[in-house]
Amino acid sequence: MLWNFLKPILIFIPIASIQLVIVPLLSINDINPNIIVILICFYTLKYGQIYGTLLGFVIGLIFDLISGGLLGAFMLTFTIAGFSAGYFYNENKVDIYTTSYAFIIVVFLCSTINSFLYTLISSTDKDFNIFYLILEGSILPGLYTAFFSLPVIILNSRKAFV
Amino acid sequence: MIKFLQRLISNYKEYFLLVILSIISITLLSLNNKPEIKRLRTFAFGNYALLNEILNYPLSIFKNDYSLKELEEENAKLMLEISRLRSKSLENEHLRSMLNFKDTSSFSLISADVISKLVNKMQGNFIINRGSADGVLIGMPVLNFQGLIGIVVDTAKNFSIVRTLYNNNLNIAVTIERLNIDGILNWDGNKLIIKNIPSTYEIKVGDSVVTSDFSTIFPPRIPVGIISKREEVPIGLLHNLTVKPFVDINSVDNIFVLKVIPSKQINQLEMNLLKK
Repeated sequence: MLWNFLKPILIFIPIASIQLVIVPLLSINDINPNIIVILICFYTLKYGQIYGTLLGFVIGLIFDLISGGLLGAFMLTFTIAGFSAGYFYNENKVDIYTTSYAFIIVVFLCSTINSFLYTLISSTDKDFNIFYLILEGSILPGLYTAFFSLPVIILNSRKAFV
Repeated sequence: MIKFLQRLISNYKEYFLLVILSIISITLLSLNNKPEIKRLRTFAFGNYALLNEILNYPLSIFKNDYSLKELEEENAKLMLEISRLRSKSLENEHLRSMLNFKDTSSFSLISADVISKLVNKMQGNFIINRGSADGVLIGMPVLNFQGLIGIVVDTAKNFSIVRTLYNNNLNIAVTIERLNIDGILNWDGNKLIIKNIPSTYEIKVGDSVVTSDFSTIFPPRIPVGIISKREEVPIGLLHNLTVKPFVDINSVDNIFVLKVIPSKQINQLEMNLLKK
């Protein structure tokens, strides 16, 4: 059980570096994918909602500390993203959810929630446009992140056939 | 009663866990400016940034020409010099000397590389590979040969966090150079805007924007950008100005830290816009 929790955290360390160093190069009009959400969704679908919520919290804490952002922001958004992904957890359908296009939908939803909350938390502007928040601050980053979850499906489906 | 509570917790443990973790996160959000939290964050990013630097090395190997760096530094110095000379042509030299303005004729720059970026719509932060060991201090402006990029907000021994213009927690006192009109520049998540400027001023698209003499966090007359749009505010005789920065902030790799820090005396007043 401990190894099940340590494994995603060990995977997270290089992924966090990719998120901070390489992902900004792929930014389209300040819209970035969040590949850490993909990791959280993947392991939540494998091990359940409580696991996903805790994993999101721990990964969020580490990411807040190493990225130089607001401490507590990613903690909260990743916790909620992990909790949201947990609704799709089904012990009998783990392989279906992690090797099919359903995974893209889960990632899209969780990433949209994550982006929405992060934009909301980090905004200090009182004249905030809700339409902008939903579209540019949530849906577009969600779609972009979902696109980046394609390799995960491909790799996992290949593993399933081996 | 206890059994009921136990049953309630076991039935809704996921929700209880979510609420507890959310409360911890929100509590930490409110404690961001505590010195203990700052120390913890400085320790964490200072150590982890080494890994980012390793990953950044193959990416920067093609653009890390030393002579190019030297030229960029020279360019940055010239940009500051031109800016100073332009402001001198716009102002009365005699009046400046009478009012005992600070002489900003010598600029010391620390060159640095951006090793990682936290880029999203609201919070633009960079981590650079220069820290307190190189003489970088909190409050020092960051620029490149084109203009202002941001400000140092945290330093570890070998690394620093830079808050960029694309961060809505950074408000900058700026001047529209041609007319000498002051305003506050802020990132709204989509664009840089100067709010509530009276529409009686004849501001033109293309007017240059520089840091203000009244800025408590930046030296005066550092180029920021140009006015790209005027937006009428529905109520009153005011309008908002959109500013296009001179620097393409999200694509910068090599930057310079300007070795000046704001006056502590001024900072002690409640004028410092960096403090929320």
